[in-house]
Amino acid sequence: MGLEIGLLAGPAIIVFVLFVIVPVFVALYYGFFSWKGYGPATDFVGLANYKWTLTNKDFWDSVLHTGLIAVLSLLFQGPLAILLALLLNQKMRGRSLIRVLIFVPYVISEAIVGIGFSLMLQDAGAVNGLLHKLGVDQTISWISSPKVAIWTLMFIITWKYIGFAVILMLAGLQGIPEELSEAAAIDGASYWQIQRHIMLPLLTPTIKIWAFLSLIGSMQLFDLVYIIWGQYIAATAGTSTMAYFMAQNGRLSGQLGRGSAIAIIVFIISLIVSLGYQRFVLNRDTEGALTDKK
Amino acid sequence: MRSSLKTVAVSAVIAMAMSGLAACSTPTGTESSNAPGTDAQSTAAPAAVTMTFWHNGTGDKSLAYWDQVIKDFTAKYPNVTITPQAVQNEDFDGKLQAAMQANTTPDIFLQRGGGKMADMVKGGQVMDITDVVSAATKTAYGEGVFAAYTTGGKIYGMPAALTPEGIFYSKDLFDQAGITATPTDIASLNAAVDKLKAAGIAPISLGAKDAWPAAHWYYQFSLRECSQAVVDAFIAGSTDLSDPCWKKAVQDVADLNATNPWNQGFLTTSAQTGAGSSAGLLANHQASMELMGAWEPGVLGGLTEDQEIPADLQLFPFPAVAGGQGDPSAMMAGLDGYSCKKDAPQACVDFLNFLAEKPQQEGYATAYGSLPASKDATGAVTEPSLKSLLTGFQNAKYVVLWFDTSLGQDAGNGLNQAIVNLLAGQMTVDQTMAAIQSAVKSV
Repeated sequence: MGLEIGLLAGPAIIVFVLFVIVPVFVALYYGFFSWKGYGPATDFVGLANYKWTLTNKDFWDSVLHTGLIAVLSLLFQGPLAILLALLLNQKMRGRSLIRVLIFVPYVISEAIVGIGFSLMLQDAGAVNGLLHKLGVDQTISWISSPKVAIWTLMFIITWKYIGFAVILMLAGLQGIPEELSEAAAIDGASYWQIQRHIMLPLLTPTIKIWAFLSLIGSMQLFDLVYIIWGQYIAATAGTSTMAYFMAQNGRLSGQLGRGSAIAIIVFIISLIVSLGYQRFVLNRDTEGALTDKK
Repeated sequence: MRSSLKTVAVSAVIAMAMSGLAACSTPTGTESSNAPGTDAQSTAAPAAVTMTFWHNGTGDKSLAYWDQVIKDFTAKYPNVTITPQAVQNEDFDGKLQAAMQANTTPDIFLQRGGGKMADMVKGGQVMDITDVVSAATKTAYGEGVFAAYTTGGKIYGMPAALTPEGIFYSKDLFDQAGITATPTDIASLNAAVDKLKAAGIAPISLGAKDAWPAAHWYYQFSLRECSQAVVDAFIAGSTDLSDPCWKKAVQDVADLNATNPWNQGFLTTSAQTGAGSSAGLLANHQASMELMGAWEPGVLGGLTEDQEIPADLQLFPFPAVAGGQGDPSAMMAGLDGYSCKKDAPQACVDFLNFLAEKPQQEGYATAYGSLPASKDATGAVTEPSLKSLLTGFQNAKYVVLWFDTSLGQDAGNGLNQAIVNLLAGQMTVDQTMAAIQSAVKSV
């Protein structure tokens, strides 16, 4: 038994330790040095990199933006995905086509999405061109105005990732035995009553898992922001995320020691959020099923 | 023309630029007896050598130039194989840094000099070529040109092009707007902006997405507002920005910004990528001016439909500011050059010396549309805007290295970012000044 567990879990554990645990400790080590990445780190600076990060307004702005993106993603994508999944769970004409159309953006690479939207949303780009043709006189700075940019980013994120949420919800819905809704219908329940009192409660575990994945995705968000706003101006436009801040002030500034310190702080924030979610939200579903508590 | 190339000015000021990093004079009379020179090959059959080479010449002309240079070089040194790779300019520094961390540094690579190079040297990544630069090269260049590639009294890079800066403009669009004389001071620049706007033309294109093009406006205003002594002290490493000229320059940028002279959406416009970039707008007559270095004609040539430099492209020097302490003829410039990695084969040095020869220097100036570092090759400069730039360079009382290059990556980025925030209306003049001061102090 022990040998079997070792054989099955061993490779995964080795990869996890080598590529996740070890880098965390390496980053922890480099975070105490002023190190530009050339040769060994020798200039020990103690907690200076941590102090620099925690007293930097741009860092806290990036934390705020990340938090905002996480919350807004849940608020926008959750209800929309559930509604779309309920719709697509019906037998209707063109269902496969609609499913494909909703899922396609999720499959397209972030680089393509980023470049495409950044071209279309320029001040002199296609979107404003279309609006002008429709009679809108005003030129909207979709990606450069700090008041608008975060909402533009939310729109792109929602468009890009809604397909994944819908597929998860659909899978969840299809796992619910049909007999339940049939029985309810025979007892006289309306369509909405069935969705509200049978489907939704049974879909809750799926929703919770999706929300967890969405939270993790929000905390890791980097590529779309980096591609659309480039190396320098996301902070100015109000769309910088924690990962973007780390790349900008670590690698781009050539201060890898500082970047490592930022990575550790971001790691701690993500760990707290993940453990908190698992402890207070996810655990209630798995209690009894996966644990020995009951 | 060629004999009067102002290497003395480069020497005087870029040398001072480097003096904060190191003693700045190029050693004299130290030509090594085994300097490879042009014909210094061993007669014994040499072992096969393979080298990797990274440059930023992504345009058709520069790609063709490097193919030809490598072909000519390997014809002369048949045992050598060089694998070139063109890396987009904005991606270059990050990619090179990552390669150095991963110990996959290319044998030959583009070198910008200044604080950025000093960091690489400190990390033991660059070959000291002090004693192997051929005597012929040293004579053709003049010692001053090497100053930007000198740190700790040693030379680490071979200059290839000088890139002084001015305002490039479209003569056709100026004519269309009824502008008869090029601006010489800020008042006439503002007047030109008004006329262009009235004619429905975007006055100045700005690629603020890449930050440095925006910051160059601040560099230039500082050069005009501050005295030579103050600028020299700054370049030499002084972090004291208490002289009021530094803040005046921020105010100048803010005042110019208030006239809204830029292309629409300048904040998300990149500098050189595609027809929608700031360079692309000027190249295709969608904007009429751009503040840029000597690489501009070459970049523009890659962004037009016919792949030619616009025929009406001309240049005027950065305008004077009223009451400025700086000399109105002073210029800001950078250098393009090439370095060998620390443990590169001898053939790398041979390649650098080969690059410095007159035919290769002339080809470089033509392919990149820039000014050659070698005095021998200035005859290759024929493009009208570059000829004006060359004249300005020859008449400049002093020349200063880009602030971000001399400050190094971290502080340079901080400074550039502060100016972008000012232009975006995210910071006031005082906040911008504070951000610049804090970035400079972090060096």
